[in-house]
Amino acid sequence: MLKKAGDSIFNDVHWQMDILQNIDVGLVVLDEQYKVVVWNSFMQNHSGKMPEKVLNRSLFSVFPELSEDWFRHKAESVFVLQSATFTTWEQRPYLFRFPHYRPITGTAEHMYQNSTIIPLPNTKGEVTNICVIVYDVTDTAVNKIAQQIATEKLKNLSRTDHLTALYNRGYWEQRLIQEFKRFERYQSPCSLIMMDIDHFKRVNDNYGHPTGDEVIRQVSRAIREQVRDLDIPGRYGGEEFGIILTNTPSDGACVFAERLRQKIERMVVHFDGKDIHFTISLGVCTLNDSYKSYKEWLEKTDQGLYRSKEGGRNRYTFME
Amino acid sequence: MSKYLLTEDQRDCLQEITNVAMGQAGDRLARLLDVFVVLSIPHVSVLNPTDIAMTLHSLNREDSDNQVVHGVCQGFIGGGIAGEAMLIFNGTDFNDLASLLKYEKAGDEQAENELLMDTANVLNGACLKGLAEQLDSHFSFGPPMLLGQHCNIHDLLVGNNMKWNQALVVEINYAIENHQINCDLLLVIAEHSIAGLLQKLDYLLD
Repeated sequence: MLKKAGDSIFNDVHWQMDILQNIDVGLVVLDEQYKVVVWNSFMQNHSGKMPEKVLNRSLFSVFPELSEDWFRHKAESVFVLQSATFTTWEQRPYLFRFPHYRPITGTAEHMYQNSTIIPLPNTKGEVTNICVIVYDVTDTAVNKIAQQIATEKLKNLSRTDHLTALYNRGYWEQRLIQEFKRFERYQSPCSLIMMDIDHFKRVNDNYGHPTGDEVIRQVSRAIREQVRDLDIPGRYGGEEFGIILTNTPSDGACVFAERLRQKIERMVVHFDGKDIHFTISLGVCTLNDSYKSYKEWLEKTDQGLYRSKEGGRNRYTFME
Repeated sequence: MSKYLLTEDQRDCLQEITNVAMGQAGDRLARLLDVFVVLSIPHVSVLNPTDIAMTLHSLNREDSDNQVVHGVCQGFIGGGIAGEAMLIFNGTDFNDLASLLKYEKAGDEQAENELLMDTANVLNGACLKGLAEQLDSHFSFGPPMLLGQHCNIHDLLVGNNMKWNQALVVEINYAIENHQINCDLLLVIAEHSIAGLLQKLDYLLD
């Protein structure tokens, strides 16, 4: 009877050791000096370091790439608070750099890891050892990263006008509202330009729509070349464009408008064997406290554009 | 409303033991962080998903002082009790957090996120360990989830994600002396995970 009970305890321990050795999770037990006490098969196989090279040695001497300061910070809270702490791949891709090992279905250069560090109290309830549990989350990480990239692409697509690669009207108007609100709060100068290609209908009628599209594309390119990083250019309608000039007072906005006007005037679009010349008209308006809404500001700028048209086109009008 | 989830006596008892647990948590945090932690008296209430949704809604936006509010959630389970600890950071200075946890400095966004999660883990761990001890049980913890990063807040709000009607909520305010750190800890225990807690409370009341 006794012998049998002894056998069963022996078996239990034996099985538990087998399970811990073979489980597909990394297990590392450390003492207070951060010396390795337990090193299971997962750790052995992925690191290529045999237990005799690791046991009783400081974790930081075995893995010099592991930041000692950072790890001590993490582990200290486990010793003192006697509660677990966690690391996630989003914050730190890995604790131990293990190259990815599957030649066919492996999708990353290294293993992404989540880890949990748990306290191991002794029989007196003092925490003299901690256990680092390392999970391989490469597949989850790779999927999530791919999803993030796809979402980012979709977001850009939904904001962009396909013909011109400028912002589309919906997104551009959102940004206009944002800049209007920003002015209300911070009063930093902001100007708006609305512009339109002169006699665009004639271009379409005389040369055909593909030529018209090419003209629109070239104007957009000219706009993209001239704007600075923080300016916000958008295609407002067919041949109408809006440019928000952030941090730009009236004189700067007028210089911008005049430079763009000259640039387009000098431009020649070669398409289908023909040379096409054309011009643009612009309205410029700098934001001040008298505008109660972004729409008022936009309308005022549009009035400037109409005045330029009425005044003979190929010019800009600044609206006080 | 609270009478549907727990009696007055049970509520008082829970408030009392969380108060004791907080005292222990304060002591542990003081030893780890070398600071004095000001903990409010825990407030026990019963909330519904809409209340939690409002809290979630305020996250990752600027409050009236132009400070971004962050939230970290961490699940816990044990002894017939299960729930989630949600730590809300109101107007927290990252450099202060970094100095609290003795990191060099706040650094980039990833480092900031790590700071939020580490702080949440330390505060939650201290508090829930105390509570588990008072209830003579032991909790297992999930990893902290930074709301808005590890899970999408919008996804949590739409589609009736929260499948419960009422939850017991213990609210504790933490402030750390000489640091610009102020957070609210909400321990949310949904109605279907409450039986073990009530049993323990009744045992303590007898």
